[in-house]
Amino acid sequence: MSTVDYTRELSVLEGKPALRELDDLIAKPLESKPNKKFYIALAITLSMTGLFVIGLALTFYYGIGMWGNNVPVGWAFDIVNFVFWVGIGHAGTLISAILFLFRQKWRTGIARFAEGMTIFAVMTAGLFPLIHVGRPWLAGYLFPYPNQHSVWVNFTSPLLWDVFAVSTYLTVSLIFWYVGLIPDLATLRERTSHKIKKVIYSVFSLGWRFSNRHWQHYEMVYLILAGFATPLVLSVHTIVSFDFAVSVIPGWHTTIFPPYFVAGAVFSGFAMVQNVLVIVRKVFNYEHIITVDTLEKMNKIMLLTGSMVGYAYAMEFFIAWYSGVEPERFTFFNRALGPYAWAYWIMVTCNVVSPQLFWFKKIRRTIPVMFVIAIFVNIGMWFERFVIIVTSLSRDFLPSSWAYYKPTLVDGMILIGSFGFFFTWILLFAKALPVVSMAEVKAVVDGAQPSHKDH
Amino acid sequence: MSDSIKSSDKKELWKSLNDYNSDPDVLKLKHDEFVEGVTEDFDPSKLSGISRRKFLALLSASAALTATACTDYRDKGEIIPYNKRPEEVFPGVANYYASTCNGCGQACGILIKTREGRPIKVDGNPDHPVNKGKICAKGQASILDLYDPERLKTPRFNMNEVSWKSADEKIIDALNEARKNEKEISIITDRVTSPTSKKVLDDFVSKYPNTKVYSYSLVNDEQRRQAWLESYGTTEYPSVKFEEANIILALDADFLGNEGNYIENMRKFTAKREVVGKTDFNRLYVAEGRMSATGMMADYRISISPSMQYEFVMALINELTKNGSSISLDANTKSKIEKYSISSFNKKDKEKLSHLINDLNSNRGKAIVYAGDTLPKEVHAAVNLLNEILGNAVLYDYSSLSKSLINQSSKEEISKLVDSMKNGKVGLVIHFDSNPVYTLPADFGYSSAIKKVDKVITLTEAENETSAVSNYTLPINHAFESWGDANTRSNVYSLQQPVISPIFNTRQKESVLLTWISGNSNTYKEDLYHQYLMNNFNSTVYTKKNTFADAKSFWYSALHDGVVLLNESTQQNKFNLTAFNNNIKELEKGNGFTLHLTESYFVGDGKFANNGWLQETPHPVTKITWDNYAAISPKLAKQLNVEMNDLVTVGAGKVNLELPVLVQPGMDNETINIELGYGRTVVGEVGKEVGSNSILLMSKEFSLSPYIYNNATIKKTGGTHKLVSTQEHHSLDDTFVKDLHRTRKIIQEGTVEKYKKEQNFLHEEKEMLVGITREHQYTGLKWAMAIDLNKCTSCSACVTSCNVENNIPVVGKDQVERGREMQWMRIDRYYSGTPDEPIVSNQPMLCQHCDNAPCENVCPVNATNHSPDGLNQMAYNRCVGTRYCSNNCPYKVRRYNFFNYRDHFADAYYENDLTSLVHNPEVTVRSRGVMEKCTFCVQRIMEARSNATRDGKTLNGNDVVTACQQACPTNAITFGDANDPNSDVAKLREHNLSYHVLEELNIKPNVTYIAKLRNTHSEEI
Repeated sequence: MSTVDYTRELSVLEGKPALRELDDLIAKPLESKPNKKFYIALAITLSMTGLFVIGLALTFYYGIGMWGNNVPVGWAFDIVNFVFWVGIGHAGTLISAILFLFRQKWRTGIARFAEGMTIFAVMTAGLFPLIHVGRPWLAGYLFPYPNQHSVWVNFTSPLLWDVFAVSTYLTVSLIFWYVGLIPDLATLRERTSHKIKKVIYSVFSLGWRFSNRHWQHYEMVYLILAGFATPLVLSVHTIVSFDFAVSVIPGWHTTIFPPYFVAGAVFSGFAMVQNVLVIVRKVFNYEHIITVDTLEKMNKIMLLTGSMVGYAYAMEFFIAWYSGVEPERFTFFNRALGPYAWAYWIMVTCNVVSPQLFWFKKIRRTIPVMFVIAIFVNIGMWFERFVIIVTSLSRDFLPSSWAYYKPTLVDGMILIGSFGFFFTWILLFAKALPVVSMAEVKAVVDGAQPSHKDH
Repeated sequence: MSDSIKSSDKKELWKSLNDYNSDPDVLKLKHDEFVEGVTEDFDPSKLSGISRRKFLALLSASAALTATACTDYRDKGEIIPYNKRPEEVFPGVANYYASTCNGCGQACGILIKTREGRPIKVDGNPDHPVNKGKICAKGQASILDLYDPERLKTPRFNMNEVSWKSADEKIIDALNEARKNEKEISIITDRVTSPTSKKVLDDFVSKYPNTKVYSYSLVNDEQRRQAWLESYGTTEYPSVKFEEANIILALDADFLGNEGNYIENMRKFTAKREVVGKTDFNRLYVAEGRMSATGMMADYRISISPSMQYEFVMALINELTKNGSSISLDANTKSKIEKYSISSFNKKDKEKLSHLINDLNSNRGKAIVYAGDTLPKEVHAAVNLLNEILGNAVLYDYSSLSKSLINQSSKEEISKLVDSMKNGKVGLVIHFDSNPVYTLPADFGYSSAIKKVDKVITLTEAENETSAVSNYTLPINHAFESWGDANTRSNVYSLQQPVISPIFNTRQKESVLLTWISGNSNTYKEDLYHQYLMNNFNSTVYTKKNTFADAKSFWYSALHDGVVLLNESTQQNKFNLTAFNNNIKELEKGNGFTLHLTESYFVGDGKFANNGWLQETPHPVTKITWDNYAAISPKLAKQLNVEMNDLVTVGAGKVNLELPVLVQPGMDNETINIELGYGRTVVGEVGKEVGSNSILLMSKEFSLSPYIYNNATIKKTGGTHKLVSTQEHHSLDDTFVKDLHRTRKIIQEGTVEKYKKEQNFLHEEKEMLVGITREHQYTGLKWAMAIDLNKCTSCSACVTSCNVENNIPVVGKDQVERGREMQWMRIDRYYSGTPDEPIVSNQPMLCQHCDNAPCENVCPVNATNHSPDGLNQMAYNRCVGTRYCSNNCPYKVRRYNFFNYRDHFADAYYENDLTSLVHNPEVTVRSRGVMEKCTFCVQRIMEARSNATRDGKTLNGNDVVTACQQACPTNAITFGDANDPNSDVAKLREHNLSYHVLEELNIKPNVTYIAKLRNTHSEEI
């Protein structure tokens, strides 16, 4: 007989660190000067961002022709990157909002970071709809503002829904993240003796005094915002999927897209969070805050969503066959066997096969292995969008208009650059704000909460 | 003194009688403004004649000039209204002038549209009896050459600019010297179509008697003419009444593609492809080695090497004489013919051949066998006999003979010329708008011989291979700046008039000769040739016409109409059997591959190499742009282990040429087809390094015909050269993508047999399509188009016409490679069947103006939307360029400006003050980042609408003719109001062969296609 007591909640943190110790540990990166490694990392990400800037400058100066896009493939890396980055953002809101509502305490160690990633990912993603247009100086036309042309935006266009969905998502995520930061900012305000820092922390902590009344209000606001954010987790990627599902193109015009896209987004988001946190916990010595148990739970979610995505791939194929619609069938055969079959099989290997390894507990708990698998998942999810967008467009209804799409150097620069942009923000965030919520983590230390037994 | 003054000097305003009579004293007093005595210190008569008034005016003018010169003020070209409007010029209203095209030797009648004095569009002249309002793609696009920035601007001597006067003087001296020294003066001209031009040449010869005129064009009908000479004793052959033929057998004859007057041929051919009201179809058999545009139209296609055509025709003669003959054959001929048997061709095409023989037998007198211009003279002669045997000579139209004003020089004549050049016997060579250095086969040695000539003069529009080795390069007018006439068909005399004054310091080429004939450089006047032409017209045309009108009125009316019909008597000669009999011989057998050189469909003999629109028009069959290639059969490709783009070396005699391969389904396995006209070396920026020069393979030693060599070799060399096409090339036996156009009902076809049995076979299974949205109601006009696929030959006149009408930019090879061509209209080509015997289907594809357009609902900014009369509109100003509309277009007919294509191509080649004049002012020039597509020529709709409003009428759908419709030589395109039940387009929409592409999407396209019927013997395709 096993002696494991399943009624007992597992401890979120390892050991029983003193509360003060936690404060010190989490605030340490903020209170120390950045070291050489940080500068090296920043130099790399800034160089990548530099590529981004050069790529964009070339695009703005010469036109979209600098990319590989053509007719029929009107969208390629631009929208692939957009969907990819919006997807990355999903983990943050899921962790901070949905898991919060479900009282999943293990989320506390990773929530802050995941939320930050959400914001940076959505910021990165949000750039793409603006830069993918042929005349970016007129991108303002995408917003409904009263104008002398007496022309209103077209509310039937999913691209417009994107504009609303993504901007709402960014706003709510930002507020949610900021509200969660307030108690920590107050803690930092108390800790610092640096004049400028003190002013900044004071301003942004909005006069937080750790009073019972503040905590009560805080908990209530946090709960309401979690309630707000929860539907957004589902709606944003649903609407992004409408870009495709609402069209008539075989391979795009698919009703399974909304849930499939959301599952895929969570999948890739968790992979990215896991990747980054594996590094963060090592660099900042947070191993006992972001524990292997937490990572394992994330891997389980990846296993779940990865399987959902795999199911969606299979279902797409089945429906394509079952529908009897010839162009639909062809599109899917073409994905697996056509000129872009390589992209399809990269996608299947990375997204469907590799997360299945997480059935093994040993793999779930082995950091190097899970790290590699998560990287695979991110590659796979990027290719998923590539397969959906490029493969479907390159061979649609009329065989006469088919064409093969080949990316250019500038496409590559913008792809790499978007990672640079994202990680630059991540690095600055890690150095400027507590990457783990001090207030929440303290609340989940063993014995921090009142219990029935020993008090 | 005063009585000597003429009345004309009198003034209108006068103060005194003296003043009135302009008394010199008064004049003197006026000039010497000072009273006598005041000027004692100086003598006013010694002063300059400038009055004070004038001095002040000059002073202020120079001050103003200095002031403006010191600023950076740039004259932006103010728009000033005419204060005295020239007659017939109305700003904003187009003028049309009838003229004659000289893109090739056919001299079609054209109408040139000008706006505010500049030509912007060319179409056929509806009054012209041969081309009847239609012209080909080359003619349509030739307008771009007028505005080519690389046209020669001034005369040159050894590359230095000189004045016309000095050039004329020096050349006249040289001519006189050559006359004195009795050295030959050689004039080398392209095919001459103008009788007056010929007269100028004759005058030249009589002034300088030691002149010889040579005529050489790379692509010519000399084999046909020589055969006709043998068979009927004249080189002038009649045109063919294709419209009356039930059975047509074309032997390597691209009569619907680029041979003869193919515009006329297409019209006549499709007269028997009419599905409205009747189905009296002709049947087209094509036996050819390559895959030509005509081959695509074939009901039965037999692949046969061009070097086997002689045997093939003789075997047919043998087979068909068994059932009797319309002319009596003597025993000698019969015995010679009997050697040829059809059984050797029966191996793979037995069924087709038995159909062919039966059809020819049962349609005697109602069929025609037609051999291609590139085939040897012997084949033509045999074909002439075959048509005589079958009694098909009744289909020859002797009222419309193809005239030859100056016969093509034979290769012996040219060899002799080259020899005389080498021996220093030629004092002067004048290239009269010809480019022999490029067009003559290299083994004539022309380009080296020309160096031995003292003075070489080239009259040309733009620098070319010949002008590069000339002493004098004299720039001549573009056809639109020129006067001229043409008489290429008996009974048809057409006139050419300038529609713009010469843009550069160029001269009419005939005027240049006339100046030299006069022997005095001062003779030149701008209207020198104009007067000459009028005089010649009066003496040759006017006098013959016997009209009541006076000469001047007749001239103006002829100029207005562009064409005068003559009554030239022509007679039908008897077939000369003896000559045929004597010439029956075994043609030289080769033991290699057969190299078949054919004219390029769009750049012609290289003349249009610098025309971006034509270079970018996709090949009718292969859809390749900006290149030529060695087309070989799939089987041969497999044998050589090559694929498309792989380089091969094609050898003919001692010459080898490396060029890329294109695997062409349906080609004969022994034949290599290469197009001529590419690989120009001295040409403008556009044509440079485009394709390979296959003329290098030609030799004067070719025994069959100048275009066919049956001892050729082909070898893989390794390496590749990227051919770019507007359509992906799939292997035909790739089951994965095979016949998708049929399973998806993009192409719906039937056979005549099937249609006769079941009129409604296309619509047996009609799916009910239900929409869930509210449909837009079209209460007034609703624009729609119908395209009859029975009539489309893929000639691409519509594509170029659309290019010109709608200001479509040239994007260049690199952009076509990336899939970014901008043509609003394309002609899709699909293969079904097997790689050896493909069935080809063509389909013009353009914006379908769907009622439920999928592009409209996805545009976030409402830039593309629907008009109340059913147009799918684009508001360019509103477009931000998300490309979502293009993605969601199932037909992929939207075109996106990935760059600013105005300045992207070849370092902004076409972005200059001159070329921008070619733009249609009624159509917005799109910049980068904007989506565009076919508008159904909305500018023409608006023009018709404002005309109707002005006249107080309601707009009728038939008042609008789109550019593609106007250009279509076979009238395959119909446009109009779908809501008007009497309109042609409404009737075609209801036709039982009509269908829409991708009907099942329920997007309700408004372009209706009429399914193609194939006239085979079976009910299955």
